Amino acid sequence: MFSLENKKRIIDAHNIIKEYQTGTELLRVLDDVTITVMENEFTAILGPSGSGKSTLMNVLGCLDRPTSGTYFLDGVDVLQANEKQLAHMRNQKIGFVFQKFNLLPRLTAIQNVMLPLLYRGIDEADAFERAKEKLVLLGLENRLKHRPNELSGGQQQRVAIARAIVGDPPLLLADEPTGNLDSKSSLDAIKIFQDLHHQGNTILVITHDRDVAEKLQKVVFIRDGRLYEN
Amino acid sequence: MKARQLIKLVFINIYHNKFRSLLTTLGVIVGTATIFLVVAIGAGGEAQVNQQYSKLNVGTIMVTSATRGKVKDPLTKKDAERFTESAHVASAFPVVNGSGTMKYGNYGNKGSFFGIVPEYQEANHLSVQIGRLLEDDDESKHNRFAVLGSDFANTYTDGNPDEIVGKSIEINSRTFEVVGLLNRVGDSGSFMSYDDSVFLPMSVAEKYLLGNRSNPNITVVAKDLNSVSSAIEDIKSILDETHRLGGSDQFRIVDAGSRLASAQSTAKTMSMLLLSVAVVVLIVSGIGIMNVMFVTVKERTKEIGTLKAIGATRSEILSQFLGEAVVISFVGGILGSIIGYGMVPVLSYFELAALPTLNGLMLGLLFSVVTGVFFGFYPAWKAADLNPIEALRYE
Ligand SMILES: Nc1ncnc2c1ncn2[C@@H]1O[C@H](COP(=O)(O)OP(=O)(O)OP(=O)(O)O)[C@@H](O)[C@H]1O
Ligand SMILES: [Mg+2]
Repeated sequence: MFSLENKKRIIDAHNIIKEYQTGTELLRVLDDVTITVMENEFTAILGPSGSGKSTLMNVLGCLDRPTSGTYFLDGVDVLQANEKQLAHMRNQKIGFVFQKFNLLPRLTAIQNVMLPLLYRGIDEADAFERAKEKLVLLGLENRLKHRPNELSGGQQQRVAIARAIVGDPPLLLADEPTGNLDSKSSLDAIKIFQDLHHQGNTILVITHDRDVAEKLQKVVFIRDGRLYEN
Repeated sequence: MKARQLIKLVFINIYHNKFRSLLTTLGVIVGTATIFLVVAIGAGGEAQVNQQYSKLNVGTIMVTSATRGKVKDPLTKKDAERFTESAHVASAFPVVNGSGTMKYGNYGNKGSFFGIVPEYQEANHLSVQIGRLLEDDDESKHNRFAVLGSDFANTYTDGNPDEIVGKSIEINSRTFEVVGLLNRVGDSGSFMSYDDSVFLPMSVAEKYLLGNRSNPNITVVAKDLNSVSSAIEDIKSILDETHRLGGSDQFRIVDAGSRLASAQSTAKTMSMLLLSVAVVVLIVSGIGIMNVMFVTVKERTKEIGTLKAIGATRSEILSQFLGEAVVISFVGGILGSIIGYGMVPVLSYFELAALPTLNGLMLGLLFSVVTGVFFGFYPAWKAADLNPIEALRYE
C-alpha cells in the first residue's frame, strides 16, 4: 500500500518562536514549536485557553510572522514571502474555518463561497458552479441565496466550511470550529471534517474540547507555548 | 479579483447602506449642481454680453455730454468735423435725438427719434427687412422720410409691421413717410434702444422737430482697433481746445471695445467667484465622505480581516474602499448635474441667463470623482493597511 515516505509534507515548521513585547515584559507565546503535518492527516491541537493555539494557527495560516524559526507550507518557504505572496498563499494553499464563521453579512451564502475563487481571478460563472457544488455537498442546496443572518449557526458554519474547501486548498485550518455551535451541530461539523478527511483533505483543527479531539486521528497538546505529542 | 467582480462588491456594499451613502453624497450633489449652474450662468452671461455687443463695432467711440439734461457748452456738429482731423479717426458723425408724440392710424404714444447721417446706420450695423435705409440724398434734400425700429413698427401696427412701409407717421403732428423697416437689433448695450426708435435724416429732424436746440452726440469710428486709444487721446485734446469753458471733462468718451472687455471680465469674475464657492462646497463634502469612510472601515474591520484571510491583497482592499468612495461621490455628481440642469429654467424665470454646457457637466463630474478619490484614499489606505490578525480579533 502506501507508506509515510511517498506522502507530501504539507506543514513543515521548525523551532517556531513567537514573542510579544508587552510594556517592559517580553512574552513568549510560542516556545520552540516544531510541527509537521503530512498530506491527508487529520490533526487536532488541544490546549487550555491562553496556551498559544490561535497564535500557532495564525503563523501556520500565513496571517502572522513568527519571531524566529522556519516554515515550509506545501514546499514553499513562507517566511521568505512578501505580503502579496502571503495573500496568494492564503488564497490558494489554505482554507480557514473560524469559530465565529466570519461570513460577510451583505453577501449571500453562495457569494460568500465564491469569494476565494474570485480573488483567484476565476470568472463569475465558473466560480458560481464550483461554489454551488460545494454547498450542495454540504446539504445547503436550498440556502444558496440566503444571507448569513437568515441561516442557523450550524448552517453558517457549513457555508464557512464550503468557502474554505471551494478552492481545493492543500490545507484546511480550523480554529475552534465547534466553539459557537450546540452539541448537535458540533457533531455534524466534526462529521463533515471527517468526511473531508476521507476524501483526501489535510486538516488541522484547534480545540480545547477533549471530546472533539478524541475523535481525531492525531492529537497534539500545547501548554504555555510548548508542543507535546501525546 | 477581476475588476467587474470588484465593482459588483462595491455596489453591493453601497446598496446595503444606500441611505447613508445618499446622505454622504448630499454635499457632492450640492457642489456639482453649483458647478454645473455656475458654468451655465457664466456661459449664459458671456453669450448675452457677446450678443449685446455684437451689433456694436468695437472700433466705435461714443462722445456724449457727461451730464444729462441741459448743457452749458454742448457738442456741436463742428466737433465731429474736427475729430476727423485726427490721423486715428476714420469718420465721425453727429447724432441728434429727441422725443415726442408719435402717431400712426389711430394709435399714438410718446416715443424717441434719432436724427442721423447715413453712415450712422453702417456703423451700428442697422439693416432693413423691408424698404431701404436712409441715404445721402435724403439728408441733402431734406426728405421727410423715416426708418422704423422693428418693435416700434410692431406696436404701432398692432402686429402687422409690414403694412407701415410706404405709409406716413406723425411725430409732434408733423408727417414723415416710412421708407424702411429695420431688422431687430436686440439690446444694443447702449443707452439707446434702436428697436423702439424712429430714424430720420438729421437735417430733417433738426428742421422739423428740434430746431436749433439740438445737442448732438458724436459717434467716432477709429481707423482700426489698435488706434482706438490714440483716437480717444486726440478727441480729448481737441475737446480741450474747442470747449475751453469746461474742457474735455464735461464729456463722456466711451469706446465699445473696452466696454465689451469690461463686461466680459465682469462676467468672468462672477463665474470664478461662484466656482470657488462650489469648490469649497465640494471640499467640505469631501471631508464628509472621508469621515463616513473612516466609520465604514472601522465597522467592517473584522470583515477586512476575513477578506485578507481568504486571500485579498492589499491593493484589492484599497481598490474596494476607494471604489466605494468614488462611486458614492460620482453618483452624487450625476444627481447634482441632473438637479443643476433642472434648475436652469428656474434661473431663467429669475431672468438669469444660464446656458447648460458640456463643459459644465464634465467639470462637475470631474470634480465629484476627484473629491471621491482624494478624500476616499486615506480611509481606503487605512483599510488596506490593517494587520489581518488584529482585524480578525476586532469586535
Ligand atoms: N498581540 C498580542 N500582544 C500580546 N500578547 C498577545 C497578543 N496576542 C496574543 N497574546 C497572548 O498570547 C497568549 C496566547 O494567545 P492565544 O490567542 O494564542 O491563546 P489560545 O490558546 O488561542 O486561547 P483560547 O483558547 O482562549 O483561544 C495569550 O496569553 C495572549 O494574551
Ligand atoms: Mg484561540
